[in-house]
Amino acid sequence: MTASVPTLIEFFVLAVASVASGLGVILFKNAVHSALSLILTLLFLALFYLQLGAMFIAVVQILIYAGAIMVLFLFVVTMLASEDTGDVDVPDRRPWQRGIAIVLGFVLIGALSYLLISGASIDGAARTAGTNGLAENVASRGNAQTFGLALFHGFAFPFEVTSLLIIVALLGAMVLGRRSRAGGEHE
Amino acid sequence: MTNLTLWVLVFPLLGFILLGLFGKAMPRQAILTIAWGASGLALFFATIGFLSMMKTTPDAARISDQVIYSWVNSGTVATGVLSNNVPLNISFGLLLDPLSATMLMIVTGVGFLIHIYSAGYMEDDPGFWRFFAYMNFFIFAMALLVSADNFLFLLVGWALVGLASFLLIGFWFTRRSAVAAARKALVINIIGDFGLLLAIFLIFQNYHTLNYLSNSAGNGVFNQVTQGGVAVGITTAICLLLFVGCAAKSAQLPLYMWLPDAMEGPTPVSALIHAATMVTAGVYLVARANPLFQVSPDALIVVAIVGGATALFSATIALTQLDIKRVLAYSTISQLGYMFMAEGAQNYTAGVFHLTTHAYFKALLFLGAGSVIHALGGEQDMRQMGGLRHRLKITYWTFLIAALAISGIIPLAGFWSKDEIVGSLFARALNGGGTLFYVLWGVALLTAALTAFYMFRLVFGIFFGSYRGSGPRAHGHDDEELFEEEEHRGGHGGFYAIYESPSIMTVPLIILAVLSVIGGLVGSYALFGRPAVYPFGHFLAPLFTNNAWTNITVPEMPLSLGMSWISAGASLGLAGLGILVAWLRYRRGFEYKASRNPLYLLSFNKYYIDELCIAVIIKPLKWLGRTANSLLEGGVLDGGSRGIAWVASGVSSGLRRLQTGYMRNYALAILFGVVLLLIYYAVMRG
Amino acid sequence: MYNGIPVSWYLVVSAILFTLGVIGVLVRRNPLTIFMSIELMLNAVNLSLITFSTYLNSVDGQMFVFLVLTVAAAEVVVGLAIIVSIFRTRRNINVDEMNILRG
Repeated sequence: MTASVPTLIEFFVLAVASVASGLGVILFKNAVHSALSLILTLLFLALFYLQLGAMFIAVVQILIYAGAIMVLFLFVVTMLASEDTGDVDVPDRRPWQRGIAIVLGFVLIGALSYLLISGASIDGAARTAGTNGLAENVASRGNAQTFGLALFHGFAFPFEVTSLLIIVALLGAMVLGRRSRAGGEHE
Repeated sequence: MTNLTLWVLVFPLLGFILLGLFGKAMPRQAILTIAWGASGLALFFATIGFLSMMKTTPDAARISDQVIYSWVNSGTVATGVLSNNVPLNISFGLLLDPLSATMLMIVTGVGFLIHIYSAGYMEDDPGFWRFFAYMNFFIFAMALLVSADNFLFLLVGWALVGLASFLLIGFWFTRRSAVAAARKALVINIIGDFGLLLAIFLIFQNYHTLNYLSNSAGNGVFNQVTQGGVAVGITTAICLLLFVGCAAKSAQLPLYMWLPDAMEGPTPVSALIHAATMVTAGVYLVARANPLFQVSPDALIVVAIVGGATALFSATIALTQLDIKRVLAYSTISQLGYMFMAEGAQNYTAGVFHLTTHAYFKALLFLGAGSVIHALGGEQDMRQMGGLRHRLKITYWTFLIAALAISGIIPLAGFWSKDEIVGSLFARALNGGGTLFYVLWGVALLTAALTAFYMFRLVFGIFFGSYRGSGPRAHGHDDEELFEEEEHRGGHGGFYAIYESPSIMTVPLIILAVLSVIGGLVGSYALFGRPAVYPFGHFLAPLFTNNAWTNITVPEMPLSLGMSWISAGASLGLAGLGILVAWLRYRRGFEYKASRNPLYLLSFNKYYIDELCIAVIIKPLKWLGRTANSLLEGGVLDGGSRGIAWVASGVSSGLRRLQTGYMRNYALAILFGVVLLLIYYAVMRG
Repeated sequence: MYNGIPVSWYLVVSAILFTLGVIGVLVRRNPLTIFMSIELMLNAVNLSLITFSTYLNSVDGQMFVFLVLTVAAAEVVVGLAIIVSIFRTRRNINVDEMNILRG
């Protein structure tokens, strides 16, 4: 079925907005501005997820990504920004890199777009219907419940492993963050 | 007939090994015991073989081909050059027949005498043990050469005597001239070895065997040679290649240059190797291979011409030389030329006979010269000698006998053998040899005159007149006694400090002198009207006539009595003329006057041959070597490997710049790769 | 829920965001900003995953995103810790200054 007009408007607005804030991430000189821009982008992406029907993920995105991770980012940015970091004062040693990067960026977009538009289409039969289908589950139980069932039934092992990963990361961060007595940390 | 030849080889070899390994630590007596023992035992076993052969009566039975070890026994040879599968059978065997027995007696006999002599001559030398080790090795190698029963081991012995010669010429290796002479000898000998090797290849290709005669190991070459069997061109090629080897080993033109330089070695070495034995290997080989030569008349002519040219050429050089050993060296070359002339005239017996008598008197001449040199403490220049017959009596008399013998004065041994040669040339000329052999006959006669002249120039120069030197060269702790004696006696400088050599050196001289006198007794008695009496000839005859040895009979070309007297008289007369001229000119002693006469200069400078060789051969070769070195070695090889290294380091230093250390550059590179992949997919799918 | 918009549109948006993130990594010199660009890339991929989850009518895509989220969090934690410790020794976090590993 073709999309209804409101849906299209939603899509385009969100698309433009997310691309704009993405541009903001990479273009702002001030790191704090970049971080705020990223938060905006995450927000718009969450709206995208809502539009696609992944309600739980959208909320999780806002809570975790925008809420926790970006806050962490902002902590570090503001802590280090006071010490006069990066882009503002020091001249670029490789000025040609910017040019090449932009050119390559366009090439990348072009190639990807071409491939995606010409190649990507979902076969209608790939959409599995029936009680195991996502849409049906969501319709009957709601997205969160569907998600929870899948998480603890099919994806239990990755779930556990991920928790292990988090512990490891925690430990790593504690070790790295500690101030050593003699000399500095070496990379 | 007992064939104990193996023991003739074994004992000198053992002596060499023992002396080589342990000689440095042995006392002098032990060294001499081993050395004399080894060569004495070799002589002993050679004598037994010889005597047992004399007792074997039918001449055809005087052959014992003992196969000792079958070395290569490959059944079939892959077809290719050879048609019919021909098995390659090489065995180590020793042949005892009249020719090899004669050679063995010469080698071991003269060798033994020289071993005794050397004990006196080399007594002060620190390399005493080394000398005798090498001498024993030489005896072994030469015995192997003459008693091998196939061409391969002939070649082995050939090469080994070359090695022995190299070691002994360069014995005093701290002298640069000695080392250069040894190298020169080796290089020229290797040219000969090469010719011999090619000849062996051709022989195997055409006769499918390397044995001389048929024995338990297979067929023999000489049993297969027939007139018109193998193409004449091929047998001529074989013979000429064999002769290249002979020319190198026996110092004939154009490969003679090494022999005069070989006089750098100790005098006993010159006597043994370069007078009596090694240089006669060529003559032996031609005699041994006579069936091959008989079916290639062109080869025989070449042999005769080369022999004649060499004889005359080197005789002219000997006329002006001042070093007494050089005179004798050129004399040796000249006499070897005589032997080849005789063999070229198809009288192999004459050549071998002259080989034996020449061994006696040439060894005697060299040993006598050695005695003079030893008494003078190392002086070899004739200008520093004179009047020595008053001080060195034994040396003088034996030397005189040898000089008379080599000049061909009746009744000494040299007369009989030289007369055989001259007579055979005359006979060949009369029997269809054409003008060539008349010319060669004339050359032989002329050379006889020259020989007599330069030999007696030498005799008069050394032993007559007044002493021109300053006494024996300093010799260690004997000096004080000498000076006291001189003061006491007054007189001519150190003349009265010259003493005759010890008896350990003079006894071999006397023995050889006796041999030089009686050696002719086994010669031909044709001059006395009894041509049938020719002991030596009869002894060797089976090799040239009997079916056991050859299918080709060497024709006998007898001279009528008148003709033989003409020939003999001519050579005798010319020899006497030569002695007379020498006497007239030099009887008051030798006065050296540098002459500007161009002929004199040519002779004195050995026809500038050495300079010619250096300019034409050595310099271009050195240039070639140097150029090749710088071009190929330096440019291609070194340059190539340096170039590879340069490329590698260039590439690596170029690639190194990719490792900028900037993370962003690395990320860019990754992106670049991703983009390439995507473009590829886009193009492919599109 | 399939809402009628062709799937390639969403994917193109995702591609654009991804490329923006790549350019950010290449151009910026402040490591924090580079990190943020990396986060942008991750999110772009998340978008395409959710898209496929909806369009293939399967919950796996969302599950994947959930896990990516978690891993991204862990990664951010460790990465920032590294940056902070670099800062402590060098007093300056311009990535161009960190070129000791040059060849």
